[in-house]
Amino acid sequence: MASNAAVPFWRAAGMTYITYSNICANLVRNCLKEPFKAESINREKVHFSLSKWSDGKPQKPVLRSDTPQV
Amino acid sequence: MAMAVFRREGRRLLPSIAARPIAAIRSPLSSDQEEGLLGVRSISTQVVRNRMKSVKNIQKITKAMKMVAASKLRAVQGRAENSRGLWQPFTALLGDNPSIDVKKSVVVTLSSDKGLCGGINSTVVKVSRALYKLNAGPEKEVQFVIVGEKAKAIMFRDSKNDIVLSVTELNKNPLNYAQVSVLADDILKNVEFDALRIVYNKFHSVVAFLPTVSTVLSPEIIEKESEIGGKLGELDSYEIEGGETKGEILQNLAEFQFSCVMFNAVLENACSEMGARMSAMDSSSRNAGEMLDRLTLTYNRTRQASITTELIEIISGASALEAAK
Repeated sequence: MASNAAVPFWRAAGMTYITYSNICANLVRNCLKEPFKAESINREKVHFSLSKWSDGKPQKPVLRSDTPQV
Repeated sequence: MAMAVFRREGRRLLPSIAARPIAAIRSPLSSDQEEGLLGVRSISTQVVRNRMKSVKNIQKITKAMKMVAASKLRAVQGRAENSRGLWQPFTALLGDNPSIDVKKSVVVTLSSDKGLCGGINSTVVKVSRALYKLNAGPEKEVQFVIVGEKAKAIMFRDSKNDIVLSVTELNKNPLNYAQVSVLADDILKNVEFDALRIVYNKFHSVVAFLPTVSTVLSPEIIEKESEIGGKLGELDSYEIEGGETKGEILQNLAEFQFSCVMFNAVLENACSEMGARMSAMDSSSRNAGEMLDRLTLTYNRTRQASITTELIEIISGASALEAAK
C-alpha cells in the first residue's frame, strides 16, 4: 500500500475531491462539439450569494457567480 | 337631491338583516354610506362592486401562480427522482446513521427564497431546532448553515448565534450539479464538522412533503465507526485499487457523498416548494371564489332593496297625490 505521504497532487494543493471532479468535468465539457458544447456550458451555470456569520451578525455577502452583476 | 333624502329615509326602514353580514366591509371612502338613526349600517352597491372587482383580480392572480408552479414542478420532478440514484449507492455502502453521537454537528437547513409556499419552511426550521436540542450538550456543539431567505428570517430570531453560513439566490439559475457542488465545497472549506445533517422537504407527491434529515459523516468518524463494527465494519472486506489508502478513499467518498446528497436534497426541496405553492394558491383561489359568491349575494340583496325602496316611495307619493285630490 502507498505510504502516508503519497497523497494525490490535487489533495496536496489544497483542493477537495469535489473541486477536482468539477475541474475534470469542465475539461470534458470543453471537449464537446458545437452546439452541444454551448448547451452544456449554459446548463451548468453557478450563481449564489454566500455570507459568513460571526457573533450572530452576517458579514458582507460574497457573490459566487459565472455572471457577475455589473 | 330630494331623491337622495327619500332614499335615506327608506333605508332606515330596512330590516337590519341585510346590513349584518356586510358590517365588516364598510369603507370610509364611499359617499353613499351612512349610519341610520337606529344604528343600522347599510352598504351602497358601489362599495360592494369595488370589493368584488378586487377579489376577482386576486383570484385570477392566484390561479396564474398555481399554473406557473405546476409547470415548474413538472420540470423539476423528473430531475429530482433521477437524482435519487446518486446517493443510494452511498447509503448501501456506508449505511445511514442519523442517531450517531458526535461532538460537532452542523445542521444544513434548506428552504426557499420566495414566499407564498405554505408551511414547508416552518416545518424545516422546526426540525432543525429539534435537532439542535437533541444534539446539544456538554462538549457537543451544533452549528447551522442556512440555505434560503425564508429560513434565515425565521432562524435569525432566536438561533442567530449558532449560524455559521447563510446562502441565498440559489434558485436564480436552474438547479444543476455544478452549482450545488461549489456550494458543498464552500461549506466543507468553511465549517468543521464531525457529522452533517441536511434538513429538507422530501417530495413524495404533489400534496405530501415530509421533512427529512440526511446524515453525512466526516471521514474520521467513519474510520472510528468502522473499527466498532456494524455496517461500516465491513469496509475492510472491500479491495482497494490504485495507490490510495483507505483513509484517502474515505475522504474522497465522504466529500462526494455530501455533494450528491446536497444535490438531491436541493432538488427535492425545490419540488416540494412548487407543490406547496400549488396547493396554497389553489386553496387561495377557492377562498376567493367563495368570497365572491358571498359578495354577489350581498350585492343583489342591496340592489333589490334599493329598487323596492324607490318603488315604495313612488307608490306612496302617487297615492298621497290621489288622496289629496
